Amino acid sequence: MNAGKLNLPKAVGVWNRPDAPRMINASNIFKYMNGAGELYLAYRFRHVEVFNYTSADQDNILVELYFMEGSDDAFGLLSLDWGGEPFSISGFPAVTSDKHFTSPTRALYGGGLMRLWSENIYARILAECETPASKEAVFALGKAIAKNTTNPPELVKMLPLEIGAAWKLRTDRLSFFRSHLVLNSIYYVSHENILDLDLTAEAVIAPYERISDSGGPKRSQFLLAQYENPERARRALNRFHDAYLPEFKKGITADTAADSPSLYKLEDGWLAYKLLGKYIAIVFECPDQESARAILQKNESSLLKKGGDHER
Amino acid sequence: MKDKTPVLTRRDFIRGTIGMTLGASIFGLQWPGGEARAAGSSLVTIVRDKNAMDSAKNVDITVLEKMLAETLTRVTGQTNTKDAWLSLVKPNDVIGLVPTDHLNPTHDEVVDVVKQSLIDAGIPEKKIRRAAGGPRDPKKCDALIALPGLKAHWLTGIGTVLKNYILYSGSPSSYHKSDSAKLGEIWNLPFVKGKTKLVLVDSLYPLCDKGPQADPRYQWAYNGFIAGTDPVAVETVCLKIITKKRKAIRGEPWPLSPPPICVEAADKVYGLGTSRMEQIKIEHYGWDHELLL
Repeated sequence: MNAGKLNLPKAVGVWNRPDAPRMINASNIFKYMNGAGELYLAYRFRHVEVFNYTSADQDNILVELYFMEGSDDAFGLLSLDWGGEPFSISGFPAVTSDKHFTSPTRALYGGGLMRLWSENIYARILAECETPASKEAVFALGKAIAKNTTNPPELVKMLPLEIGAAWKLRTDRLSFFRSHLVLNSIYYVSHENILDLDLTAEAVIAPYERISDSGGPKRSQFLLAQYENPERARRALNRFHDAYLPEFKKGITADTAADSPSLYKLEDGWLAYKLLGKYIAIVFECPDQESARAILQKNESSLLKKGGDHER
Repeated sequence: MKDKTPVLTRRDFIRGTIGMTLGASIFGLQWPGGEARAAGSSLVTIVRDKNAMDSAKNVDITVLEKMLAETLTRVTGQTNTKDAWLSLVKPNDVIGLVPTDHLNPTHDEVVDVVKQSLIDAGIPEKKIRRAAGGPRDPKKCDALIALPGLKAHWLTGIGTVLKNYILYSGSPSSYHKSDSAKLGEIWNLPFVKGKTKLVLVDSLYPLCDKGPQADPRYQWAYNGFIAGTDPVAVETVCLKIITKKRKAIRGEPWPLSPPPICVEAADKVYGLGTSRMEQIKIEHYGWDHELLL
């Protein structure tokens, strides 16, 4: 898909775009956006098309269309921040479910910036100065870009929304990623890639928040990563244990998928992990063993139900 | 054979063993094992004016000129702008102005005001240049004035003072990942070391999350200059402001992620200044609305 197929309007309000976009690919992305480029390369990135809509008497509107390898990657970029005003686009309905995560929206707006996920495109539409006219133009551009609905990555649908009556998934903090750099920007684990993540892996992280907790919410971070095969998952979990839990005896072998999770009492609460075939599930910062075990077991059940085979 | 080199993890920040682990992993013996060295206090000034920008974010040059004059005299202890500059640079110095050129750039008006102020102090215009490029830029300069924009950075936590010289390394992408902790080493390159005479952070319209790409939801009109001669102290104060703003937005602690370890490393490994708040004297002038200190 390219902008030609998107049929971006030549003019929107008092703004006009050039005939051709500025094309940015992996080889020149740092020249375009310095270190911000690492974010897009941390997903399966193809290229960016940049249009600057200009006007004689209004500040510019910048449209960046990030073309990714797949819809999952575009979703991942939007999932890094669910904040903003949801923008409803005709023919672009939000799918809902009370059983698993569904994307609350495909487009979010705030302060002059619209972020949008449509098929394999992640778009940023930024009005340099927000005015009623620029907002209208940004929304019109959003509608022109957002064509078809696609589903969120399968992995994010694995996470149960509730763990018994005690824990609720914070879907507004759920993020999909493939890189430890992105993980660290959401929840810092290590400067090193101790989970062996790369573009062949998929991962989701979100906090479970304890319901009806006096004295402020208690959150436990849940991470689920999927690797190419069980052997890669096993190696990754071994590396994670060596780096993160060096003083503890390892509780995993290649054959422990059927066993109870490994549990460790750390400085910030209980950590539990489990190897589930080609998946790794880890929960951080649990207040007690029971919670850690419950969060892992419920997710394992969900994985079995939705994904079926752990490929043990 | 199992690799026994410790890896810096979240647990080090919780346990307070970041220094020990960094010392054993990234920095080797450079990281001091003992207590913090004794050091004098570093002055960081914050000068703000609510009229520095209007509601459309247009910058008022006249207000900036006053803010700069206030900053210079307060930082140097001199009574006027000319003497202030001449206490920092020599009249014959080639002076490099180092703004952030890209993504949330330093306001051009800030660079212009600094340049004009130097000219008014008697520095020939031909001796003042922009020096925000690669290693050749600082090599041509006797003195550098760092003019970064205040922003969080998704790879390094903060992307303001220390990161402002990343292009001087000649290989900026090598500082994007785990080696971001080493950003301070760029300031000690032979052609950079000792040349920075003033750090003046453009904090008119900072960005407290998702940097360096602009996201207006996380930008706000702080309308300030944060300045000093100690780059680490200035960065430390910048961190405090960003951290407080993040907490104000979410209504709960919202720590920078990843943690900006380059700041402590700049202090403890590279000796560029102090990252310890107890050694930083903050002086504020002007608008005190949401000072975030």
